[in-house]
Amino acid sequence: MIVPYFIIIPLLAAFLITLISSDDDRWAIVISILAVIILGILSVIGFISVSKEAIVYSMGGWKIPYTVCLVLDPFSSFMLFIIPLIGLAALLYSISYIRHLSKSWKYYALFMLLITGMNGVVITGDLFNLFIFMEVALFAAYSLVAYGGKAEEFEASFKYAVMGSISSSLILIGIGLTYSITSTLTLAKIAEVLPGQNPVVVNWIGAIFLAGFGLKAAIMPFHAWLPDAHSSAPAPISSMLSGVLIKALGIYVLIRLFYNVFGLPKIFSDIFLVLGGISIICASLLAISQWDFKRLLAYSSISQIGFILLALGIGTRMAVFGAIFHILNHAIFKSLLFFNAGTVEMALGTRDLRKMGKLGKVLPITSTTSMIATLSVSGLPPFNGFFSKMIIIIAAIQAGFFQSAIVAVIGSVLTLGYFLKVQRHGFHGEKEFNEITNVPSTGMRTAMIILAILCVCSSVLIIPGIKDVVFDPVIDTIINKTEYIQLVLGR
Amino acid sequence: MVNNLTLLIGIPILIGIINIILPSMLKKILNMVLVLYLLFVTSQIYINLSGDIVPNVMLFDTLILSIDKLSFLMIAFIQLLSLIIFVFAYSGVNEKIMSKFMILYPLTIGFSNGAILSVNSWSLLIFWGLSGIMLYLFGLLGNTKDTSATAKKTFIIVGGSDVLLILGLVFLRFLEYSNGWQLWDIKVNLEGEIAYIAFISLLIASFAKAGVFPFHTWLPDYSKDTPVESVAFLPASIDKLLGIYLLARLVLSVFVINITVHLVLMSIGAFTIIIAVMMALIQHNGRRLLGYHAVSQVGYMVLGIGTASVLAFAGGLFHLINNTLYKTGLFLSLGSVEKQTGTNDLDELGGLGNKMFLTFLPALIAALSISGIPPFNGFFSKWMIYQGVLDFAKDLTPGYQIWALVCLILAIFGSALTLASFLKFLHTIFLGRTLKKFEKIQESPVMQWVATSVLALLCVIFGIFAVKIPLEKLIYPVLIENGMSLPIWIGTYSPIMMISLFGLIFILGYAIYIMTKSIRYDDIYLGGMDALEKYRITGTGWYNEIKNMSPLKGFYSAAEIKLFDIYSWLKGISVVFAKILSLLHLGQLQFYSLWIVVGTLILLWVIK
Repeated sequence: MIVPYFIIIPLLAAFLITLISSDDDRWAIVISILAVIILGILSVIGFISVSKEAIVYSMGGWKIPYTVCLVLDPFSSFMLFIIPLIGLAALLYSISYIRHLSKSWKYYALFMLLITGMNGVVITGDLFNLFIFMEVALFAAYSLVAYGGKAEEFEASFKYAVMGSISSSLILIGIGLTYSITSTLTLAKIAEVLPGQNPVVVNWIGAIFLAGFGLKAAIMPFHAWLPDAHSSAPAPISSMLSGVLIKALGIYVLIRLFYNVFGLPKIFSDIFLVLGGISIICASLLAISQWDFKRLLAYSSISQIGFILLALGIGTRMAVFGAIFHILNHAIFKSLLFFNAGTVEMALGTRDLRKMGKLGKVLPITSTTSMIATLSVSGLPPFNGFFSKMIIIIAAIQAGFFQSAIVAVIGSVLTLGYFLKVQRHGFHGEKEFNEITNVPSTGMRTAMIILAILCVCSSVLIIPGIKDVVFDPVIDTIINKTEYIQLVLGR
Repeated sequence: MVNNLTLLIGIPILIGIINIILPSMLKKILNMVLVLYLLFVTSQIYINLSGDIVPNVMLFDTLILSIDKLSFLMIAFIQLLSLIIFVFAYSGVNEKIMSKFMILYPLTIGFSNGAILSVNSWSLLIFWGLSGIMLYLFGLLGNTKDTSATAKKTFIIVGGSDVLLILGLVFLRFLEYSNGWQLWDIKVNLEGEIAYIAFISLLIASFAKAGVFPFHTWLPDYSKDTPVESVAFLPASIDKLLGIYLLARLVLSVFVINITVHLVLMSIGAFTIIIAVMMALIQHNGRRLLGYHAVSQVGYMVLGIGTASVLAFAGGLFHLINNTLYKTGLFLSLGSVEKQTGTNDLDELGGLGNKMFLTFLPALIAALSISGIPPFNGFFSKWMIYQGVLDFAKDLTPGYQIWALVCLILAIFGSALTLASFLKFLHTIFLGRTLKKFEKIQESPVMQWVATSVLALLCVIFGIFAVKIPLEKLIYPVLIENGMSLPIWIGTYSPIMMISLFGLIFILGYAIYIMTKSIRYDDIYLGGMDALEKYRITGTGWYNEIKNMSPLKGFYSAAEIKLFDIYSWLKGISVVFAKILSLLHLGQLQFYSLWIVVGTLILLWVIK
């Protein structure tokens, strides 16, 4: 039974790091990298083994609903693959980047706690347990945002913590209300019981969850914490937050709740469409006006989350495919872009695009990979972002949501606009640089190259035979509420 | 499956990738072999097509690539122009950018071939998008201070229009679901808002690529700020072929369009001609002048293809290939001048005709061709378009007739202004007294003037033997394949007779010259003093009167503040909205917390 190891391994790694590391960070690095590699292998094994049948692990040998269960189905194993994938790249990048800030093992211990929390959220089949793991991940995230120790970083972390607490309170209220009408906290059991409950109360619970988890996903108007937090955090943490955390704690939970538990009522799919559209356009417009590289990327993340939410609002099989494909793609190219930003910041000591210039000569790998990431995020072929956005547009038109398709198109053009601004000022500006002092290390370069290659290679997932194996089981899990209940409850 | 179509795409892409690791000299040689080989493959395809053997490429049980007479026309000219431009680039490209240029060049050929040969929406989108990326990357090779800004502007317009191509193709599939993602032979009636959205989206994609008003504004900037070889290769030739190819497909076999839409297309064409040529007249930079003419000329193609007449359609296609020849020739000739003198500013040039005669002569022929002077090719295609418009107008209601005739008059007027503009171009660069600083200027390298001479020669051949060679061999088969009748000429024009008349006039003039020969050679005086170089009239100010003439003054003033620049408009609108939204993001925690509360309350209110 591999299921509990997704939580045990990173938690154990965090514990071991704390236990055996002294002033040196070498053991911490080795342990954390080893842990994410094992998690990655486990997620692949898990994905293969659950393609036909989900694995349900009941803690303490008790039966549902008297136990906390962990559920490994294709959707959770898909997410469990993305977390160590980006985690490994972020750790490779961190080795020298974090030494630039401090040579401490604490970073790696917090990093492992972050992964523990995210894995826990993804794998749990229990609503309150989900809340607990979410808080574990968030406490690690608050600390990591402030890791640099500057005033601006503490301020961002504080804001994040305050707003995170507001949303956690909302979620807790939602959990309480859910329990009061269903008398259970097991997601599958809630899904089974809810249809017989008062629809007004059910919708109110949905709205409270949407606000709470919407903040974790940084959906507009619950997004305001993100630009500060993501721009202030160290680059590898920004990549984890933007690439994985907002998806694991936000989008993943929204999909689980609204598809597998609530069965996507029409009112919520409409709200998804509207909020998705607003996030796409408004965040893109805000990104256009930014000169801080990382802040621009942060607004871009809100906009890209909007694409995912829009697709979830459309709700067809094709749209769900677009959404989960975009979750993967966004994780890859946004992490890469944060690495690019971190490298430039380390080399030039600034995040201000106006102070950058021609960087192709001094930072060739950063410059080239940033171009690949730009083309990916802007949805240009043959890069991965093109295919997921194309799928979302096709889904919108097929389902008759023409306005949503046009919003997606406008969003894509705006995305191209602000990322070309990054290229124009950040990497191809007027200022010449012949030499820099802080050159990116091998680990940093490797992380960027891996993700750049993935920006191209993940496009092959669109090929029918591959798509059938990778995405179809995930889509089936998401769109089929009854199947989820049957898988978990065994009836 | 490997066949000639996959070779046309695969080999150049492969060589582009191999070139990443090769030294510069080997890159050059490999590219030269490639462009020759691709021309050979094209000739093989021509032979196959003549025998009605159509090579197809299937992938995942779907037809991905195929070729017909229209796509062959484009493929043939992509390979031909790639060869000629590469001959120029062989000794012309700046050493600093040589390595990147030699990688991007074959990749661009491969992607462009892919876009033309695609008969499936997905492959079209991929290759079309990749060719747009190449345009951007070529744009970044420039070395002016505006290079990066220009590349960005170009890619926002062209890359942005690629997104509209996606929208258009998806809507098209929505309309003709039975066709799947297969392209071209669809024939959708242009009725209902979905059909119009699809049509307009695809039209914008075509217009942005080809540089049609109002999506043209990237082209003059791109012409000025990027290496001349890139300009000749992409906006002057390959992008024109791609953009107009898409337009031709839309009109020919994708949509069934009504008279009003035809007239709107014709108006866009005519408007593009006149707006761009008016801008070209007042330019002081040679590259920008040619850039505006590249826009103006595409107007003729839109006018021709947009007119519901076989003659005009054939004329539009013919004008497309003619334009690629003379416009490439003009850019390359100016490029030679620029490489020898170090400038493309018309105010700083002059009198180079005798120093660079082998550059001047092709430039002269290309300039006469673009100006529509018989017997050159530009005249023939324009003449076909004019006749086609008249042919189309004769069956229209009086109101529509006036509309069509206004388009015709604008096009003819545009041609006259083109001549005026090129007189200035030729005078300021090649004629007048040779400036002292240019006394030691040498002729351009052999490879350069050979390339421009070949283009000039083709302008002459395509003018004199217009019917026998380009029309009968390449364009009429397109018409026949698409079920159109061969054009019926309205007017009478014989290039041979025209040449004979020109010859006669020349002999007569020479005879008069011999009989009255009495010439005194002397220095030039100005107000009784030696005419100093600083007092010379460059020619760039010839049309300043037009600029200051009412109401054109208003037009030029509006153009100066970029009122006609769609990019500036979009940028301005985005900035305004961004500023408004920024006012709501002041970083105050209490304010943000309030958002969460208000957002939650709104959600609860909505679902009540």
